[in-house]
Amino acid sequence: MDDRFLNQHRRDPEHGFANALRGRLRRLEEDEEAAPARVRWMPTLAAAAGVALVAGLFLVPAMRVAAQSVLDLFRVRTFAAVPFDASRMDRLRELAQQGDSSGDPIKLGVEKVETLKDPGPPRVYPTLEAGAAAARLERVRSAGWLPTGMAADTVRVQDEAAARFTLGTTKLRALFDALDLRDVQVPTQLDGQQITVRMSPALIQTYRGGTRRVQLLQAVSPEVTLPPGTDLAQLAEIGLRVLGLDRTEAQRIAHSLDWRSTLLVPVPANAASFRQVTVQGRPGLLILSSGMGAKGQRRREGSLLLWTEGDRVLALGGDLREMDLMQMAQSLR
Amino acid sequence: MAIEDAGIGRSWARAAANEDDWDALYAEQLPRIYNFFRYRVGHGAVAEDLTSLTFEKAWTARRRYRRDLGRFSTWLLAIARNVAVDHWRRHREHAPLDAAAHVDAGERPDEGAERRSDEERLGLLLAALPDRERELIALKYGAGLTNRAIARQTGLGESNVGTLLHRIVQALRARWTEGA
Repeated sequence: MDDRFLNQHRRDPEHGFANALRGRLRRLEEDEEAAPARVRWMPTLAAAAGVALVAGLFLVPAMRVAAQSVLDLFRVRTFAAVPFDASRMDRLRELAQQGDSSGDPIKLGVEKVETLKDPGPPRVYPTLEAGAAAARLERVRSAGWLPTGMAADTVRVQDEAAARFTLGTTKLRALFDALDLRDVQVPTQLDGQQITVRMSPALIQTYRGGTRRVQLLQAVSPEVTLPPGTDLAQLAEIGLRVLGLDRTEAQRIAHSLDWRSTLLVPVPANAASFRQVTVQGRPGLLILSSGMGAKGQRRREGSLLLWTEGDRVLALGGDLREMDLMQMAQSLR
Repeated sequence: MAIEDAGIGRSWARAAANEDDWDALYAEQLPRIYNFFRYRVGHGAVAEDLTSLTFEKAWTARRRYRRDLGRFSTWLLAIARNVAVDHWRRHREHAPLDAAAHVDAGERPDEGAERRSDEERLGLLLAALPDRERELIALKYGAGLTNRAIARQTGLGESNVGTLLHRIVQALRARWTEGA
């Protein structure tokens, strides 16, 4: 097949264009580095698919999940926020760097982490329908209204993931000692107990306008299989103490939530605010960044909305004002 | 001309190991994405704009893709294809079929012997193609993919890709020759 007439028209990009684009990419990187806290309080959006949600699930409640029956199951039905001092998270990261936790705070207090299913990177799909099919989701939602200048951008699917965590009381005690939590008792029956987390595939729609970006995530609730045994409220209290709450507050929260259906979202107290809202008749959790990072640095304002519909978890968040985010959420169809 | 994924995968692996290698990866991938758009949407500023958009999206998401060492090229092209689809959705400006027919004359009647450039003629011929066919041409001759890689990108069978491309190229060559 003579196709030389087609081949001969390839051209190298102009040097000016290539250099200018490379410069813009470098500036994007610098912007990311200037706003590291931006993603810190918004883990669930990127992550109902991944590690951050697991961390959110386990940094606080990892220790809360001993159960009454042989096999117990956790599914997200509601979200609740708990403010914490960001310096505690820094301290946990510091401890993770020092020990054998590979810099991962989630491994503090956990004897072994086994990856049962690596989700790999998100995959891009050409249409919402194709993405929904890949995520095994029926009747997916999409925005019926967008802020001026925004348009649908990409559809991605984060594949399912699964991990098993083996708890160890020795490591837990070491963690409490390092955090100077002398009054916290470690239930001995936790030693060697295993917790399995399974994350369903997540469909992520990105909307973009100029430099603004909003993402809508939809996924079936993650499932946590729990070991037999212990008082959930007691374990929740331990987790809350790890997060830096004082004993009285940790006890109050631990005994006021349904731990089999509530996902607790830690929110840095000085960087964000939160409140309960209603999304299309369902309760939701709205988290608003203050435009100030946890360490006082400036960052872009943003908002994150979390809610559930039946067994499905939805998260909508990005560089939008509260009013626009809520209007977008209410327009989902 | 075909670019093998394995080679690109190794480059991406190097980049994952060392952020500085992004420069090398960028230099390697830029011509491929740029030419994909030149064949897909046309020459000049539009191709540059869409190339920029593709790399900015990939760059923003790059850390999430570090573990996918072997498929970076596929991922980058998938972004580029989506960018192209969005572009056409916003700008339905296909050249009419008869515009390509006029190209066959090869010369502007009122300007004597001044010939249009080959590049311009090819652009008009490509603009007259149905969207799907033009994308196949862009993947093959712009991005430099093998038929197998195109099949992976598009979901078509490899033999089907070969058949379709053969037919499209034959038709294009006939028009090209007529206009020479």
